[in-house]
Amino acid sequence: MTSQRLNKLTPYMFMAPAAIIMAVALLYPLGYMIYGSFRDWNPSQTIGESEFVGFKNYITLFYDPAFRESLSVTLTFAFAVVTAELVIGVGLALLLDRNIRGMSVLRTLFILPMMIAPVVVGLMWRYMYHPTVGTFNRWLKSWGFEGVDWLGQHALLSVIIADIWQWTPFIFILSLAALQSLPRSALEAARIDGATAWQQIWYIKLPLMMPVLIVTALLRLIDAFKVLEVILVMTEGGPGLSTEIVALRISRTATEFRELGTAAAMSNYLLILLLVLTLAMFAITRLQEARAARLARQIQEEG
Amino acid sequence: MLKSLKRASVGAVSAIALTTAAVAGPYDEYEGQTLIVNFPAHPHFDAVMKILPEFTKQTGIEVEVDQLPYLKMRERQTLELAQDEGEYDLIAYVVFSKADYVYADQLENLAKYFMNPKLADPSYDADDLIDGYVYNIGFAGGNKGYLEGKTGSLFGIPYGSETSILGYRTDIFEKHGLEVPETYEEMLEIACKIPELEPGMGGLSSRAASGHHASHAFLLHLAPLGGRVFDDQWNPIVNNEAGVQAANALKTIVDCGPEGAASFGFGEALGSFLNGDTAMFLDTTVVAGQINDPSKSQVVGKVGWAMHPMGVRRGSQTGGFGIGIPANAENKEAAFLLMQWLTSKEGDKLVAMAGGNPSRFSTHADAEVNEKFPHMATFGEALQHADPDWRPIIPVWGKINADLGTTLSKVLTEDLDIQEALDGVAERTQAVMEEAGYYTWQ
Repeated sequence: MTSQRLNKLTPYMFMAPAAIIMAVALLYPLGYMIYGSFRDWNPSQTIGESEFVGFKNYITLFYDPAFRESLSVTLTFAFAVVTAELVIGVGLALLLDRNIRGMSVLRTLFILPMMIAPVVVGLMWRYMYHPTVGTFNRWLKSWGFEGVDWLGQHALLSVIIADIWQWTPFIFILSLAALQSLPRSALEAARIDGATAWQQIWYIKLPLMMPVLIVTALLRLIDAFKVLEVILVMTEGGPGLSTEIVALRISRTATEFRELGTAAAMSNYLLILLLVLTLAMFAITRLQEARAARLARQIQEEG
Repeated sequence: MLKSLKRASVGAVSAIALTTAAVAGPYDEYEGQTLIVNFPAHPHFDAVMKILPEFTKQTGIEVEVDQLPYLKMRERQTLELAQDEGEYDLIAYVVFSKADYVYADQLENLAKYFMNPKLADPSYDADDLIDGYVYNIGFAGGNKGYLEGKTGSLFGIPYGSETSILGYRTDIFEKHGLEVPETYEEMLEIACKIPELEPGMGGLSSRAASGHHASHAFLLHLAPLGGRVFDDQWNPIVNNEAGVQAANALKTIVDCGPEGAASFGFGEALGSFLNGDTAMFLDTTVVAGQINDPSKSQVVGKVGWAMHPMGVRRGSQTGGFGIGIPANAENKEAAFLLMQWLTSKEGDKLVAMAGGNPSRFSTHADAEVNEKFPHMATFGEALQHADPDWRPIIPVWGKINADLGTTLSKVLTEDLDIQEALDGVAERTQAVMEEAGYYTWQ
């Protein structure tokens, strides 16, 4: 009996070290953040000395126009960059999915922007956008156009362009890997049936790549919600609050306003938002899979 | 006989002991100690690094410096000061940290050190320290809670402090026969005339980027134009006539400034003056070193200095750094000796000669210092009008400052109506102050 029970326990004991590490490394900080978000806590105090305020931080934030504005900036930014990066990245992958000489060199070149430290990317773009000495305005002026006030009048667009430049390669490289691992038989069958290149892309390649694309998009979306350094260096959130994404607001709330409790509550809002998005994405994938399975069954039954 | 001999020898021994004690220098007891200090990466503290070996030579006290970028420094200090035993014996702090540190009881009150005859140097001459700086950076607990006054006491000494000054291009002013502006009206008029006289050149470079930069530039004009952020009852009055005038001045300066001025931070504003893209510069005195450095500046020898122009009163900014002893420091007395030496007449002159910002009137008037840095006399004159209350130093200021700065940025870039913008700031500030308990007594 005892040995039987021990046998049953064995797998859990093997799992225990991993579970403990996970609890300490993941759940403890998370719990700390949630606990902190219910307190009026400034960085000169230990968390024990701070005062419990219930949901006050969450309620204040909910009605805070600045927080709402930065939430809407974040949503605009995240969806804009992910959509643009998906279109460009997948497009590039479709174009380059063939045997070109020197492909490995090209691939390395394409992913270079991803390897650059975000602070450097921010600085580089900030100088390229500079109103007088920046590359873009010098080009524009040498072609006889008016200079554009990139980081003033069009700050959000400028930040979006910089992010697309840096992160499109990520989507490109994953899409290319997905394309190259597609079953060749399906494509050959389509070709024999006389499908055009566009038809192959729309009806075969893209649907088969979909699971990879959804995960890729999700990863990028989560990342885009948390991007901080590039925007911090380029615009510091300005002008006004036009590029102040939530991650930047959290950092300012903690360091400039010295309100750790509010910053923690903001992080939790962001966490909840990301959780909802992730769950929604997975739900969509599940639904699609179920539909595909049903279709497959129907075809089999009819056949 | 024997008894008297014994008494005599005891007397002699104690006389010798007394003489030795009298001869022993104030630093002997601390010789060989190592102080750990936290300084920012900043031109003044780069100069301090050059004079620290002299302190060690004179006193035998070693100094180890942890030099950090100033925003990082504040984060690090916040963590260190909250410990039971801190790592730092002496810290340099930014003026707006004063409110936080003093409120959390993390800085030593300096009275007990200046009262201690073994520590306090009688020739220190505290009256020679620049009043505006001491009140702004050193004092807490007096008027309004953050200034000097009958209930106030000293928690730090200004070190690496700065005020605002007007820099102008002597060649451009001479070429067009322009007079150096004395008042705000004159300054704004010249600022907008320059782009007409010198196509492609901006009038005055100012910081204007969203947040701290825009707010700083606005407050720079608010004090001389007669405004304040709060009245004596802590009601926000930033939206009164003086406030609107100050915002108008900022807008005029940015509109007549170099291209892209609305997104300039301090670096870009200074950069455009150093590149010769603007004819005037109204900001901190700390830039003087860079303007005369040929590797950084294209306007060496073409810049003159004048006092911050006058509105309805004179009032230049006060800011920069002070030094204080953390309450959890290990070697407090030796740290005080270092602090006293650095800010003494001798230390202040040494640091000025090494390129730092002096904290004493006498150093600004010193012939040797003026020979090396001819602008020092004008700076000293400007300091007579340094206004310690040009911005409030209260714990909630960070939040109000950010709101003011982002709203003004909207005025500059999105043409938001000035009165409407400042009314909004005043309303939100009122709510922040209410929550922080400033209206408890009303």
